[in-house]
Amino acid sequence: MTGRSGVRFAELLKVQAKLALREPYAALGGIGLPVILLVVFGFIGRNVPGNVGSTGLTIVDLWIPTILVISFIAISISLPNTLVRDREIGWLRRVSTTPVNPSMLLAAQLVFDLILAALAIVIIILGGALVFGASLHVQILPFGVSLVLSIAEIFALGLVLAALIPSQTFASAVAGLVFFALLFLSGLWVQPAQVGDPLRTIMYYSPSGAAVRAVLDSVFNGGPPYAALLTMAVYTVVFGFIAIRYFRWE
Amino acid sequence: MNAAEVVTVQHLVKRYGHRIAVDDVSLSIREGEIFGIIGPNGAGKTTTVECISGLRAPDSGSISVYGLSPQKDRNRIRELVGVQLQESALPPRLTVGEAVRLFASFYPNPLDPDQLLESLGIGQIDKSQFKSLSGGQKQRLSIALALVGNPRLAILDELTTGLDPEARRETWSLIERMRDRGVTVILVTHFMDEAEKLCDRLALISHGTVRTLDTPEAIAATAGGSRVRFVPSQPVDDQTLRAIPGVNEIERKQRYVTVVGTGDLAPSLIAALAAIGVRVAELEARAGNLEDAFLEMTKEDASRVEGVVES
Repeated sequence: MTGRSGVRFAELLKVQAKLALREPYAALGGIGLPVILLVVFGFIGRNVPGNVGSTGLTIVDLWIPTILVISFIAISISLPNTLVRDREIGWLRRVSTTPVNPSMLLAAQLVFDLILAALAIVIIILGGALVFGASLHVQILPFGVSLVLSIAEIFALGLVLAALIPSQTFASAVAGLVFFALLFLSGLWVQPAQVGDPLRTIMYYSPSGAAVRAVLDSVFNGGPPYAALLTMAVYTVVFGFIAIRYFRWE
Repeated sequence: MNAAEVVTVQHLVKRYGHRIAVDDVSLSIREGEIFGIIGPNGAGKTTTVECISGLRAPDSGSISVYGLSPQKDRNRIRELVGVQLQESALPPRLTVGEAVRLFASFYPNPLDPDQLLESLGIGQIDKSQFKSLSGGQKQRLSIALALVGNPRLAILDELTTGLDPEARRETWSLIERMRDRGVTVILVTHFMDEAEKLCDRLALISHGTVRTLDTPEAIAATAGGSRVRFVPSQPVDDQTLRAIPGVNEIERKQRYVTVVGTGDLAPSLIAALAAIGVRVAELEARAGNLEDAFLEMTKEDASRVEGVVES
């Protein structure tokens, strides 16, 4: 039984991966966009003298954590597009008439997205270090915990959207809106340190702002603030609960 | 019982909010037959088969499929029952071969996917993506997905809706071949010709209840004898027509008159009218069929629902 479940899951993962690469929104957004950002900030970093704010760091050093989080956001935001469509056309329901529960299909999709996220992390960190000489002296544990929690809460948010968005027509519009809101809150355009208080607090405690703060601090400040980790944990639980409560297979 | 009963539905009731979709349906399906479920749109056909396949939970009543409960023995039932759903599509970029091989991996003893596609005549489009398939190809793929698990019971819902006549006939022969391989088939349809041609027995469902359950021939026979339609050379009143031996009912539509009755209706009609100097043109005679029986029954239903007794 476990052997057969394993075979089924491997087949599902293979098919989900093929489909995801034929409509490569997640791959383009999750890997393409971060690579573009890395190149842009990398060149800015080369032309602007290093030592931003007498920290001894270059621009590309400082931006890598943000780029990582943006990659997770781009992958997660492609979830509602696929899942809402698969529900709307009756594919999830079709699968539910077989011995395989459609939750396996969802799990295969999430595993594929996790692989994509892991790939993005490797590409961004290695690319930053090898091509642009970014110096990441990370402490593995806090850095790892920050990344895992970031991925968990951001993916859970994608599942909430997939659960609540009723149709494909809304999916791309809502997902696009949430995508840019998350990019803004992550500090891509204006960093929290540069803005006044109500907005700064909002950014710090937003899903993407907390993620960037945790990853950034675990790279440069020795460890992430507990507030940021706790914020992400709470988001993961709340989003997970909403997604499970409201997700429909048909 | 003669043949083994593989599906037994007793007093099935299913509501959606306040609307009753299925109201006390009971039926049983025998091993190896093509069992038709016919009825007008919204009659409760799809809800009934969705309860049989375990996709929906009944509000009351009991269902047994191979002695199992579709709700409690979900996984076992899904290995035994192949389902083709009304209006269910595949991801647009999934290919035919990938879909069938994926579904094959879900079942303990699947059929060979390549052979199955060949036998359904879609082996050559193995690498085509779902979005590029024609209506007929999509239906064949849908049948392939329902069959690849090597089910003992296949449930096919509105299989030929939207197909052109040629594709419909090909689909019919596929269903017959399915039965010949020993698969029991439940066929949901609103096409009378399809039910008449394919089904060994069928249940007519209307307003959520089974109006009749029998062989197509027996149901057609309830429509009563023969029908003769003609255009009289001059107006004839009902009284004159009723006086002709065998005439039971008279229907008028534009210049056409249709009499329904028994015996050698056409010859006696022509003779009786000739005697009063009325000639008969555009004569058309046929036996009562499933569609007549169906129309009569649903007409009775409609008048009962509205509380009007038709004269």
